[in-house]
Amino acid sequence: MNVKVACALVCLLSGMASLARAQVPGPNNAITDVPGIKVGHFTGAPWTGTTVVLAENGGQGVAGGVSQRGGAPGTRETDLLKPENMVQIVNAVVLSGGSAYGLAAASGVMQCLETQHVGFPVGGGNVVPIVPAAILFDPGRCGAPFNYRPDFNFGLQACTAAKSGPVQQGNVGAGTGAVSGGVKGGIGTASVVLDDGIIVGAIVAVNSVGSTFDDDGNLHAAALELQGEFGNLLPVKGGPKPKNGPPAAVPGGLLKNTTIAVVATNVELTKAQATRIAHMADDGLARAIKPTHSPYDGDTVFALGTARIKMQSLGDPAFALYRIGSAAADVLSRAVVHAILEAESTACYQSYCDLTPNACSNGKKGAQK
Amino acid sequence: MTTSHVWAAVLFTLCVVSPSWAQAPGPLNAITDVPGIAVGHYTATSPSGGGSTGTTVVLSPGSGAVGAVTQRGGAPGTRETDLLKPEQLVEKVNAVVLSGGSAYGLAAADGVMLCLEGKGVGFPVGPSQVVPIVPSAILFDPGRCAPFTFRPDASFGMAACQAAKGGPVQQGNVGAGAGAISGGSTGSKGGLGTASVVMGNGIIVGAIVAVNSSGRTFDTAGNFYAGFLELGNEFDMVAPTAAGAEVGTDSTLLQNTTIAVVATNATLTKAQALKVAQMADDGLARAIKPSHGVGDGDTIFAMATGTGTPASNNTVNSIGSAAADTLSRAIVHAILAAKTLCNAKSYCEQFPQNCPQP
Repeated sequence: MNVKVACALVCLLSGMASLARAQVPGPNNAITDVPGIKVGHFTGAPWTGTTVVLAENGGQGVAGGVSQRGGAPGTRETDLLKPENMVQIVNAVVLSGGSAYGLAAASGVMQCLETQHVGFPVGGGNVVPIVPAAILFDPGRCGAPFNYRPDFNFGLQACTAAKSGPVQQGNVGAGTGAVSGGVKGGIGTASVVLDDGIIVGAIVAVNSVGSTFDDDGNLHAAALELQGEFGNLLPVKGGPKPKNGPPAAVPGGLLKNTTIAVVATNVELTKAQATRIAHMADDGLARAIKPTHSPYDGDTVFALGTARIKMQSLGDPAFALYRIGSAAADVLSRAVVHAILEAESTACYQSYCDLTPNACSNGKKGAQK
Repeated sequence: MTTSHVWAAVLFTLCVVSPSWAQAPGPLNAITDVPGIAVGHYTATSPSGGGSTGTTVVLSPGSGAVGAVTQRGGAPGTRETDLLKPEQLVEKVNAVVLSGGSAYGLAAADGVMLCLEGKGVGFPVGPSQVVPIVPSAILFDPGRCAPFTFRPDASFGMAACQAAKGGPVQQGNVGAGAGAISGGSTGSKGGLGTASVVMGNGIIVGAIVAVNSSGRTFDTAGNFYAGFLELGNEFDMVAPTAAGAEVGTDSTLLQNTTIAVVATNATLTKAQALKVAQMADDGLARAIKPSHGVGDGDTIFAMATGTGTPASNNTVNSIGSAAADTLSRAIVHAILAAKTLCNAKSYCEQFPQNCPQP
């Protein structure tokens, strides 16, 4: 081996290493790795719950945006997020079960925040907390009464429980009753730290019509794994090539689903920029779940920027946005995988790992068993 | 004059006159002239301060009305507007809630949902299981001669829903218009207004609005911007006076919002209903200056109750035009019906010559 070849190899390897360094999960591999983000779950009796994502910067809210592309949404305060509208901040985003009834949880979060004087100031020391929300369909799952659903109290409890640090995943909060493509869905979270200090995190409640894995049991987004976080999933058979049959016939004529998510970054964003991040992050759903954004999915993705890093410190803002949005999509895909791996079988729905033990046997879930 | 000339004259007269026939209010001059539409108010007055707030619900009959929304004001507070997009699955709304209380007031829709679920009304999701489709918008009125925490909650929505009925609709300081103001300190008390029109082809269009605008509805001489849209003598004694000046409004007043529902008995697709909502929104522009401001969360919903073949483009155009005019007229009704409350003087107290004496 001559010197030139050796140098080229070293350069190539070091280049690859720096690329790899550019994609590491944060310490908790959770959306709470983004400074200013806290998460609280409230898990009701089976099978529903509420998850709240609190966002602050110096005691104020942060810029937010939304992408709402699923066909059967249930939402609050998404009009307010349009870039041309006045309010520039978001104090919390609520993800909840309960179908449209579950939108009531946001009222509890508003009260929780008002008592902490957190919100958009409207004079006289008064605030209106800005709390967009989206719901998923889980009422009546697995024999639960149809009228057991998140209400005001669920939001209040989730908000009170919100904290930084590790985030519980699986059958918890808004993912408690979630189902995905015939297996148990749930809550998942993930994060990535880019080499210049940009942090991007995601949290998702996966309750999709579509499946997160192919007919062989290989997860669609398995290739996005960082540092063995999926427990070195084994391809089940046939390798990583996706293989999908046509969508199954709709039992009873109506599928009741929805995947809802929040992505967050420590970069300072305008509302318009946050909206762009939400749209790019939404592609992470498309890569992890197939099909996505169907007529029966109210898929909605919120984006938040907690402004610890000034956008102007990152050079060309459009390119910074491009990198953050691209990272947000991958983080959201990985959070979807975490949700499926962490979900646990119930009396009505098998978990992915119980359905496909070969895939998980070498993995995190398998190792825990 | 020959016979043919007579017939020509009759035809000419019909052609000229029929447009005015085509523009008569319904018997109630209210959104409830649209068959099946029911309206319920719940109004509360603060024991400390005397300020008011409230909730107004517009219920659609049967399995609901095809719904749409236009949201063009700068400071909205809304629920379930995403599902109204034409490409989304659910096509019909069971109720629309207009409420005071700023974003806190979105809780009123929770009460309306429970009210409707109790009646089995909603989008069917299983055997005897429904999810009521209840879009909502709020206006800013907290803290007006009342504690800031005095605001609509779920119980307001439940009470408004239970009170909903056809027939005459109370206007002025009621429901979502109870605490409303219009045009800042140089303006007037705002309120709740409604109007309707029966078009020549049997199509009925109604509107209901809670006027809480940063902009004004009349010039300094008391001339309503939308005064020219009067049908019959529905604005009663309002007479044009020498043109007054237009005045700016307090730029610090960024806590407003005008919210409305227009309804028709025509059959519309969701996309057509959206076009009607967009055209109706122009009625806001003609009656309030400025409108759709930074601090106005102006939001207009449309409901179409028909169950036949969707309307033609021409008919959609006529309905949209009528909806705009009807909404403008409803705004004038709101201001004329409003009563002085707290430090917001009513129009009629400022211009008694334009109003019946009490």
